[in-house]
Amino acid sequence: MKRYLKLVNFEIGRFMKIYLVLIGITILSQLIGVIVMAKNYVANANEVIFVDSLPLEQFIEQYGEMGMMDVVGSIWFIGPIALCAAAFIFYIFFIWYRDWVGKNTFIYRLLMLPTSRLNILLSKATAIFIMVFGLVSVQLILLPIESMLLKWNVPFDFRIDMTVSEIINNNSYLFILIPDSFIQFIINYGIGFMVVFILFTAILFERSFRWKGALLGIIYCAIASIIFLAPLIYEIGFEASFFYTEEIFVIEIILGILVTAMSIWLSKLLLNKKVTV
Amino acid sequence: MIEAKELKKRFGRKQILNGVSFTANKGEITCLIGINGVGKTTILKGIMNLTPMDSGQILIDGEKMSKDMYEKITFIPDAITMIPTMTIAEAMQFMQDYYKSWNQARATELLRFFKLKQEEKISSLSKGNTAKVNLLLGLALDVDYLLMDEPFSGIDIFSREQIADVFTSHLVEDRGVVITTHEINDIEHLIDKVVLLDNGVVLKEFRTEEMREDEGKSVVDVMREVYRG
Repeated sequence: MKRYLKLVNFEIGRFMKIYLVLIGITILSQLIGVIVMAKNYVANANEVIFVDSLPLEQFIEQYGEMGMMDVVGSIWFIGPIALCAAAFIFYIFFIWYRDWVGKNTFIYRLLMLPTSRLNILLSKATAIFIMVFGLVSVQLILLPIESMLLKWNVPFDFRIDMTVSEIINNNSYLFILIPDSFIQFIINYGIGFMVVFILFTAILFERSFRWKGALLGIIYCAIASIIFLAPLIYEIGFEASFFYTEEIFVIEIILGILVTAMSIWLSKLLLNKKVTV
Repeated sequence: MIEAKELKKRFGRKQILNGVSFTANKGEITCLIGINGVGKTTILKGIMNLTPMDSGQILIDGEKMSKDMYEKITFIPDAITMIPTMTIAEAMQFMQDYYKSWNQARATELLRFFKLKQEEKISSLSKGNTAKVNLLLGLALDVDYLLMDEPFSGIDIFSREQIADVFTSHLVEDRGVVITTHEINDIEHLIDKVVLLDNGVVLKEFRTEEMREDEGKSVVDVMREVYRG
């Protein structure tokens, strides 16, 4: 356990510089975005109302009020989230291959540590999970700050005020990142973590059997996806509803746990018996 | 004692090891000799469970390899097994964090012996000094067995001498060492036992002292006989 925690700390430390840059870009882009968008809106309002002499009510009717919904739909806001998502998808692969490819032989050291090789796998996955939750937390902290910034920059008559929960519930991708119920949270992140373990297994197939392993990895991803989506595929295939929503939910949770457990078990087997440096 | 029994390994269509068997005793230096590509490194990786064998058995003091064995046996590959951006001090700290067998006093002694500065980054070291750090990280573990892959390859003459000196010092004494090399001259006088490999099999296994006393042949003489026919 101690060595597992040390490994988690070590993995996070290795990605910390890039991680802090990602957080920095998110904070800067979103805060600057709020200010730029608010200033542009107010400047446009000034021009239309004072230069073109359009009454305030008519301006609002024509241009609409400004709110956080405009901000969260902008590239200033979505851009850094997309960048972080892309970085973490890349990181799922990078976290393994950086120690293997080229002249880097750090994987020798990791595999020769006097600890279960499963700890190496779990520590890498845990590092990813912690950092993803870290980014989501930053986003949660940023939203009220951004709302406040908007209030400071756009006069009351021109804006729609929303609570953080209203902002999240009215935006589809924010709702995926920060669901409003614990069960939805478990589902969203459970699926995410399951995908991480499936991809880790595919990577270890490739690292064990090289080209043939890459093919096996792709086949494994397909099988795991089919198992997980089996009830939905079944219903769509037969164009009928065999299950109640609650039943589908329970089946999906069981299948999700099954696929995750299968991936971890296979990864452990590959790490112990097949992986080749 | 390290026992390798009937090791077989195939990479693609090439049969690298085809029933390799040998033993390496504690307190002795055993040298695996063979031309490049003969499977010397694969054997060491096989012992450390870094490359699985297709068949055969490897025992260390009668036991199969397990995670706890990494406190008892270590492998020093021909490339450094640490992150290049680490300093030597950070690399030593990493080892101390994970290995109970890490001996910091010995690591400090080796730092002095190799004239290395612990604040230096691994990536900024010369090839010779990188090899010395690699050696340090392995030798500072209080393990019973050391596996070394080509410790002299591509290193300047002075570094080679320094590394060769390690073999005669207390740093290696009492441990079992398995070393691979195709440059025998540097260490011929240090070796206790030789395993000559070719075409995936052991051509000859002999003790150097017995060979010298009984047949009056050096390792190089035997190599000539075996490889040239």
